[in-house]
Amino acid sequence: MEQNDIFAMVRGNLSTVIPELDADEITMDATLTDLGCNSIDRAEVVTMTMSDMGIHVPVMEFQEAGDIRSLVRLLARHTA
Amino acid sequence: MSLTGIGIEAINVFCGLAQLPVPALFDGRGLDRQRLDHLMMESRSIALPCEDPVTNAVNAALPIVRGLGDAERDSIEILITSSESGVDYSKSISSYVHDLLGLSRHCRVFEAKQACYAATAAVQLAAAYVSSGVSPGARALVIATDVAMVDARAGYAEPATGHGAAAMLISDQPRVMAFDLGAFGTYSYETLDSARPGPDFDIADVDASLFAYLDCLSQTFADYRTKVDDVDFATTFDYLALHTPFAGLVKAGHRKLMREQARASVEEVDADFAARVMPSLRYPSLVGNLCSGAVYLALCSLIDNAPYTDGARVGMFSYGSGCASEFFSGLIDQGSRDELARMRIAEHLAARLPLTFAEYAEMLEENKQCLVPVPDREVEIARYKRFFEASAERGPLLALRGVEAFHRKYEWV
Repeated sequence: MEQNDIFAMVRGNLSTVIPELDADEITMDATLTDLGCNSIDRAEVVTMTMSDMGIHVPVMEFQEAGDIRSLVRLLARHTA
Repeated sequence: MSLTGIGIEAINVFCGLAQLPVPALFDGRGLDRQRLDHLMMESRSIALPCEDPVTNAVNAALPIVRGLGDAERDSIEILITSSESGVDYSKSISSYVHDLLGLSRHCRVFEAKQACYAATAAVQLAAAYVSSGVSPGARALVIATDVAMVDARAGYAEPATGHGAAAMLISDQPRVMAFDLGAFGTYSYETLDSARPGPDFDIADVDASLFAYLDCLSQTFADYRTKVDDVDFATTFDYLALHTPFAGLVKAGHRKLMREQARASVEEVDADFAARVMPSLRYPSLVGNLCSGAVYLALCSLIDNAPYTDGARVGMFSYGSGCASEFFSGLIDQGSRDELARMRIAEHLAARLPLTFAEYAEMLEENKQCLVPVPDREVEIARYKRFFEASAERGPLLALRGVEAFHRKYEWV
């Protein structure tokens, strides 16, 4: 799956979890925490995206994913 | 019309004799008060050094056992304690509990462990035993009991952790809840989200734990759907009682399923949460996480506080780190409310004496020794007299007076 497609999914799920978020603020360089996600919101965005993609990534791996770019790369690696 | 089938004949919780207002804990630890809303916690039950998993279990189950006639009491053929606070590697908490409750010697006595899930495994196996017909009229007593080991290292989990026990009598006279037998969904896999590697400390990976909880909620419900026809998350269940480590996570879990299953809007999710979930969160917000008893504390809260007038179906979700989980359901009715009212849970919660942060911090050091194996230890129960006096109308309560040659010793106060 292309990284752009995964980014679109993350973006869509972020908007679902935090509806008041301005879509323009969601860039590859932002972190979920910067965008106002608390720990539960982060877990939701990631589980929703994994479910959309039909993959399961061990939770421990996400600790290394700081910004959205590394999150998208991590998810992309698991679709390869 | 009363409930029929197999299920919970009686249920009770014991949530300690002391409580700490959560804002006082936030201030004492220098936590950010803005996160209070997220936790949705008002107070948390705190152990006294003369309480342990055995006293909690006995104090929860005693009103149930006292309500039985001799023959009914002797029909308890299985006693299972569920705990992540074992008092010995070999001997179970239930050995002590069996003796102190005066149960028949013709009884299977053992303990189950799977973090916050084990009580549900025990309840389900007990219900299957009762329904199997191998011993007509048999009852099983399942008691989820734990003590907290959190301190400042636990961060925002410290204000959400409770203390106490929940006791459920399972039989073919389901006065409190009739289970939908065969309607369940399970989901389990190995992960290290939280654990208790030693007798006096817990470890937790908050992100991993939230992930696993939310993942398991979706997966268990999906499995439930494969076993039951025409299930709709939004309409099949009049109410929901979910494992409540803190209310914010229950809110997220509910939101997730409403989006996945019902494609609900933000407004619909909020209205549904207020109507179907909030009644289950009242007691948890006053007590904190009761480990494997937490979902049953939520059920008691729901039965006491929800405005149902007729039969109502409750969807329940149990989750334990490590991890194992189950979604199941049952029916309650007006009789459930009458039955539970006899336990006077709200009154007992209100009778707990408040602690200051300094008193709490002092007790915490002693409480963390509760499960540490030592051959001999003395506990001065008299120091905690005022807590027992404030709850005197409950009648005698069990307290730990010490350990002699590794044998725990108790007395009634």
